[in-house]
Amino acid sequence: MGCDRFEGIGGLRKMKRIMSVMLAVFIILPVAAFAAGQKEHQITIAFLYQDLETQFWVAGHQAIVDTLKKDGVNVIEKNAHDSADTQLQQAKDVITQGVDGIIIIPQDGESAVTIGKVANAANIPFAVFNRPPSNHDAKAIVAVADNRTIARGIVEYMAEQAKKLGHKVNPLIMVGNLGDPNAVERKQGFYDVIDKYPELFNKPVEVPTQWNANVALQNLQSAMQAHPNIDFLFTSSDFMWPQIKQVLDPLGKWKKIGDPNHVITGGLDGDVGACQLIKDGYIDGTGVQDVYAEAKMIMDAMLASIKAGDKTPDKWMLDPGFDLTHDNYAQRSNDMWGCILLAAKGN
Amino acid sequence: MAISDQAPRIEERAHVSVMSRIILSQYSILGLTVVYFVVCWLFFPRILSIRNIDNIFSNVWPLLAVAIGQMFVLIVAGIDLSQTSIMALTSVIGSLLITNKLDPNLFAKSPFWGWLISASGGPLAHQPGAVLIAVLVMLIVGTIVGILNGVSVALFRMPPFMVTLVSMILFSALAIFLPKSQNIMNLPQSFNDLGEGRLWIIPIPLIIGILLIGLVYIILQRTLVGRWLYGIGHNPKAARISGVPVRSVIVFAYAMSGFCAAIAAIMYSGQLEMGRPTLGATLLLDIVGANIIGGVSLFGGRGRVGWAFIGVFFFIILANTLNFMNLSVYLIDVIKGAIILGATFLDVARRRLAAHQMA
Repeated sequence: MGCDRFEGIGGLRKMKRIMSVMLAVFIILPVAAFAAGQKEHQITIAFLYQDLETQFWVAGHQAIVDTLKKDGVNVIEKNAHDSADTQLQQAKDVITQGVDGIIIIPQDGESAVTIGKVANAANIPFAVFNRPPSNHDAKAIVAVADNRTIARGIVEYMAEQAKKLGHKVNPLIMVGNLGDPNAVERKQGFYDVIDKYPELFNKPVEVPTQWNANVALQNLQSAMQAHPNIDFLFTSSDFMWPQIKQVLDPLGKWKKIGDPNHVITGGLDGDVGACQLIKDGYIDGTGVQDVYAEAKMIMDAMLASIKAGDKTPDKWMLDPGFDLTHDNYAQRSNDMWGCILLAAKGN
Repeated sequence: MAISDQAPRIEERAHVSVMSRIILSQYSILGLTVVYFVVCWLFFPRILSIRNIDNIFSNVWPLLAVAIGQMFVLIVAGIDLSQTSIMALTSVIGSLLITNKLDPNLFAKSPFWGWLISASGGPLAHQPGAVLIAVLVMLIVGTIVGILNGVSVALFRMPPFMVTLVSMILFSALAIFLPKSQNIMNLPQSFNDLGEGRLWIIPIPLIIGILLIGLVYIILQRTLVGRWLYGIGHNPKAARISGVPVRSVIVFAYAMSGFCAAIAAIMYSGQLEMGRPTLGATLLLDIVGANIIGGVSLFGGRGRVGWAFIGVFFFIILANTLNFMNLSVYLIDVIKGAIILGATFLDVARRRLAAHQMA
């Protein structure tokens, strides 16, 4: 009986030691983290974003954070992992921390309005990068690409290439998440050109993607099975080029410009992949959002508002963008952020 | 054996006894939370500001509602992975009923367009009592989904994990399909107030939370159903032999889970001022984690509404203070995961200690 108890107590002693260590770590760890987290007071801007899933968002994030830090601004970053309610919570927390301004990449236009209203009520200048609020109920600095004009421009270029074929073409559009105003505007820009040339285009096929690569792949595969004669393809975002290649290549349609089986293709954003594909001749062009210009617009306007004491600035700034095509690549590639990154990689 | 040999053993047993009491105590987490908060306050005084306290509690009540629902299922040794999809589905249905305006460009392809919803909004737009009816519909839908889960688990003996996983996938897809993945805005202010409004100076979510706590306390601690729930969680075979209607009680547990998820959806949708087809999608870890931290056992048979409150309170305080520390988001997730793992270990330790003490 004595041996059993000793054995049992020995096991409990071990457990007691483990629990004591855990409890001590539990208290000490955050204290150590506090020391690491403290900074002297300076202009502090909270940058709240969703997961940086595409090169565009990574480039935008880098542009904003690096430039703010270079200007001596303290940047608090929060990633909401694609959750609007988490981002709302984070916004409230940084307001409590006493930040001087908030810049967000929202989950969608609607949540940008909700978070904007919270910032307005707290008299904290509020800015939205690239993904605009769905209405003007909240006062905000907004820097956004003129998506409709940029999309219209590149699809217009694609239409010029289609005219050279001498026959009607079968268009397809890969549509983004229509909760994102950017996706809505890009779709509108595409249809502006389709409607302008009814003699050139058959009825377009729409492929929903929800801004998700897997969804894009599956839906494009289905669409190409149902409509094998597609020969004119516009993607609402360049991040889907790998999926497009994955679908077109086995069908013998992933061919360079000039090949009889080449599908006239164009996109929007201007990422590294698009730059490489234009350079190699696989795609006809892309509409470029000038991410560095948009980031600078946001930061300049935000810092000016903070310095002027304007707590609820209300200013929408449009980035007109431009088209990078196979024809003007030599002249304009140095202006495109994706090509700049590609060059930095040594390509 | 000499008496002098017995003295260290008595002292050891006393030490172990004190430690056991701490480990076995459900309120050790509450104590730790208070100590942790005080330590944080020394470095970040703003966390005790009225605004931050308001923020903390505005996040506590919705999470508590859905965590209480999960607690019912955990008590009977089950799990409900579909709570987040119930939140999304009820959010969408409720808001479609009462929205005052819809954009045809976004909603024309919804299966409800033309006969239930239009550019003027939902069928109850601008109607008296619209919000009350929408809330009732949300609660009924949530409860029905819960009942479906419960029937599958109790009557067809399907594993809770699989049943609720399939439910989660199915009802998440439905929540996205109905509004064609669009958020539904232009909700009446009286609905938004359920998530962020005040009755005089008292936050309405606090009132909802207190009422729910009261209801659940009565069910669990003052009714036969409550005792049956614990009995089934401890030993379902013994419960059945004792005459407990095991199947009905399990269905009830899952129905409560769905009901509470709908309550949470009301509060979250009100806070966000919109119905969202992806509402709560990232909350499952927080829901289960808060319960485990509070002391609700994954093995069944243990759980009280007070413990769920403590767990949720700790979780929200943790998230709030980690945000103040401006740690990298990845480090925050690591810390949360480590704490939940620690709480799970504590759950196992409790069972061993409790078994040892009974022996």
